[in-house]
Amino acid sequence: MNTPPRLIARTLTVTFATVAVILTIAFIVITLDVRNRVRASETEKLRVSENVFTALESKRQQDQVAAMATLAENPTLKAALDTYFTERRFSGSSDAQLRATVNGETAKLASQTPADVLAVVENDGRIFTSAGPSASQWVSGEMIEVPRGPQATFQSVAVVPTGAFRVTGARLTFGDRAIGMLVAGTSLDATYAQELSNLSTAGVVITVNNSVVARTVPETVARDLVASKLTAGTATLGAEEYAIRTMLASGPARIYTLTSIDAAARNATRDALVAVGLIAFGSFILAAIGSFVLARLVSEPINRVSGEIATMTSARDFGRTLELTGSSRELDALTTAFNDLMRGLSAAEAETRSAYLGAIRALAAALDARDPYTAGHSERVSTLSVMMGRMLSLDAAEVEVLRLGALLHDIGKIGVGDDILRKSGPLTPEEYEQIKRHPALGARILRLVPFLAPHLPIVELHHERPDGRGYPFGLRADDIPLDARIVHVADAFDAMTSARAYRAALPAAVAFAELQRFSGTQFDPACVEALLAAMPSSHDIAEPALAQLLGRQG
Amino acid sequence: MLFRARNFVLLAVVIAALALTVESEPSAQEAGSVRGRVSIGIPITAKRGNSTYSRSVPTVALAPESELRHVVVYVRDAPKSAVAPMRAEIRQRNENFVPRVIAVTVGSTVDFPNDDPIYHNVFSLSRTKTFDLGRYPQGKSRGEVFDKPGVVKVFCQIHSHMSATVMVFNHPWFAVPDQEGTFDLPGVPPGLHQVTAFHERLGDTTQQVRVEPGRPTMVEFVLPVPAQP
Repeated sequence: MNTPPRLIARTLTVTFATVAVILTIAFIVITLDVRNRVRASETEKLRVSENVFTALESKRQQDQVAAMATLAENPTLKAALDTYFTERRFSGSSDAQLRATVNGETAKLASQTPADVLAVVENDGRIFTSAGPSASQWVSGEMIEVPRGPQATFQSVAVVPTGAFRVTGARLTFGDRAIGMLVAGTSLDATYAQELSNLSTAGVVITVNNSVVARTVPETVARDLVASKLTAGTATLGAEEYAIRTMLASGPARIYTLTSIDAAARNATRDALVAVGLIAFGSFILAAIGSFVLARLVSEPINRVSGEIATMTSARDFGRTLELTGSSRELDALTTAFNDLMRGLSAAEAETRSAYLGAIRALAAALDARDPYTAGHSERVSTLSVMMGRMLSLDAAEVEVLRLGALLHDIGKIGVGDDILRKSGPLTPEEYEQIKRHPALGARILRLVPFLAPHLPIVELHHERPDGRGYPFGLRADDIPLDARIVHVADAFDAMTSARAYRAALPAAVAFAELQRFSGTQFDPACVEALLAAMPSSHDIAEPALAQLLGRQG
Repeated sequence: MLFRARNFVLLAVVIAALALTVESEPSAQEAGSVRGRVSIGIPITAKRGNSTYSRSVPTVALAPESELRHVVVYVRDAPKSAVAPMRAEIRQRNENFVPRVIAVTVGSTVDFPNDDPIYHNVFSLSRTKTFDLGRYPQGKSRGEVFDKPGVVKVFCQIHSHMSATVMVFNHPWFAVPDQEGTFDLPGVPPGLHQVTAFHERLGDTTQQVRVEPGRPTMVEFVLPVPAQP
C-alpha cells in the first residue's frame, strides 16, 4: 500500500490546479477578446489618424495654396510672361530673353517651395517651363491635365508619362484676365508614400488609374487592395486582415491608408500574455506560500495530537484525556470524540475487569467450597494479604495485585482430586506430591488469561520458603517476590486458625507463635511482623472484631 | 437666337442705309474707308445662319460689353506713313491702369499720372519699348515716348495685377471702338488689306478686306474667336 501524500503536497496541488485553471480561462478570454478589441481600436485609430491627417493635410494644402497664390503674384514673372504672349500674338515672333526671364523667375520660385516641381502652365494646359528636382518629368510643350475652371487656385492630380503628381495651382492673372498658371507638383512616389506613412503611422498605397505607383506595404497587399476595389472598411489582403481608409481620391489618383489588424493584435496579445505570465508567476508564488501556511496551520495541531496519542499508547496511559488544541473546530471535535472513545473503552475495560473478578471470585469460592474446612479460605487470605500489604506500605496498584492474587492463590487445586483434598487422614507421599503440584497448575491456568499476568507470581510461588525448601522451585529469601511471601504467611496463618478434619482450629496466639517460631526459615520475617502489626488485637484472637474481620462464622 | 438674328437683319438694313447716304455724298477722294463693328461675347452660330456649329462659346467664358474699349482695330499690312505724334495718358487709379488699352502713333508721348494715394511703378519688358519709370507717389506723373511701332505691355512692379497695353503704329489706320463697338478707319488706300481686331486677352482676329475707293467697306468682328470644332 502506498503512503498517502503529505497534507502540504495536497494543498499545493489543489491550489496550483485552481490557479492554473483560472489562468487558462483568463488566457483564452484574453486572446479571444483582444482580437475584437484590436480590430475596433485599429479601425478607430485609423479613422482618427485619418481625420487628424486630413486636417493637417488640408491645412498644409491651404498653406501651399496660399504660398502658390503669393508666388503667382511675382510681378517680373507675370510681366515677362504676359509680354511674351502678347508679342508672340502681335508679331508672331517671340523674345528669347523674355522666355529666359520666365525660366529664371520660375527656377527662383521653385527654390523657395518644397515641391518636387514648379511649372508655368499656359491656359490650355501646355507646360511653358518647369523647375525643381522633378522638372525633367515636366517637359516644356507637353500638355498636362489641369482644371479649366475660373477659380484662382486649384488642387488636383496631374499625370505625366513618367508618373503622377499631386498639384496645387494658382492662376497668373491681371485683374480677371488669366495669362496662365503656376503649378507646384508633389510626386506621388515612394518618398511621398513614405512621408505619408510616417505622418499617419499606417501603411500607404498610392494608385493612379488603379495601378499601384507607390506603396509602403508588401506588394501582394497592395495588389489585393486594388483588386478589392474597397474604399473603406476591413478586408483580407495578402494573408492578413487590414483596416482601410481612402485618404485622397482626386482624378485618377487614390491614396489609401491601411493597417494590419493581425499585426496589431499580435502585439496586443503578446503584451497581454506577458501580463498574464507575470500574474501567473506571482499567483503561483502566493499560492505556494498560502498553501504552506495553510498546511502548517492544519497539520501542526494534528501532529501534536497524534504525538500525544503515541505517548499515551506507549505508556499505556489510557485514562488521560487529550487537550483541545483550539486550532479548528473539526480537530477539536475529533479530539473530543477520541476522548469519549477512550472513556468508553476505559469503562468497558473496567466492566470487563469486574466481570472477571466476579467470575474469579466465584471460582475461588467454588474451589473453597469443595472442602468444608477450607470454606472462605481464599477470601480470608485475600483480606489478610491486603492488610499486610498496606502495613508494608505497598501502593494502591500493588495492593490490588495482592488482593486478586491472594484470592486466586489456590486456583491450581482445581486439578487435585477431592479424595486427596478431603482426606481426613495423613497424606501419603504420593498424595502430598499431588498437592505440591497445585501452584504450577494454577500458573498454567493463569497464563491463558493475559490480563491476570500480574498475579501469576503469587499463584506460582506462594509455597516458596526463605530457606529454599519450598516448592515448586525452591527459591530463597529475596528471590521470592514480596507478593508471594505475603500470601504465603497469610495462607499459613489462616490454615492454622482454621479447623481441619484431623485437628481443631488453633487459637490466633498459637498461630502467631508458630509463625514467629519459623520466621526466617519457613516464613518471611517482615511479613510475619506485618501480620502481627496488622491484627487489631493479637493477644485476643477470640475477639469478635477479628472473627468478623476474618469472615468466620461463629 | 431668333430674336438676335432678327436684330442683325435690322442692323444690316441700317448699315446699308448708312452706306447709301455716304455713297450719295459727292466724293473726289481716291481712298476708301473701313467701317464696322466689333462684337464681344456673341456666339458665332447666332451670326451665321448657314453654320453647322452645334456648340456655342459658354456664356461664362465671355467678357462683358465694356471690354469693347480694350479692342484695337487696325490695318495690319498698312504701309508706313508719316504720322503726327500724339499725347495720351494712362492714369493709375484704384490700382488699375485706366484706360487699360490705348493706341498711339509713333513718337507719341504717354503720360502715367498717379491718382492713387499710394506709390505706383510703371515698367515694361517689351522689345518695342523697354523702360522703367520708377516709383512715384500720388499727384506725380511721368511720361514715356514710344518711338517704335509695336505692342508694349506696361506693368506695375508694386501691384502685380495691374497691366496696360500700348499699341504703337507708324500709320494712322487704327481705332478703338466706341461703346457700341463701332469703328471707322477713314482714308484707307484701296485694295486688299488685312484688318485686325486685337484684344489683349480675348485674342485677335484678322479679316481680308477689299477697300474700294470712295466708299466704306463694312467689316464685322466677333471676339473671342470661337473654337473650331
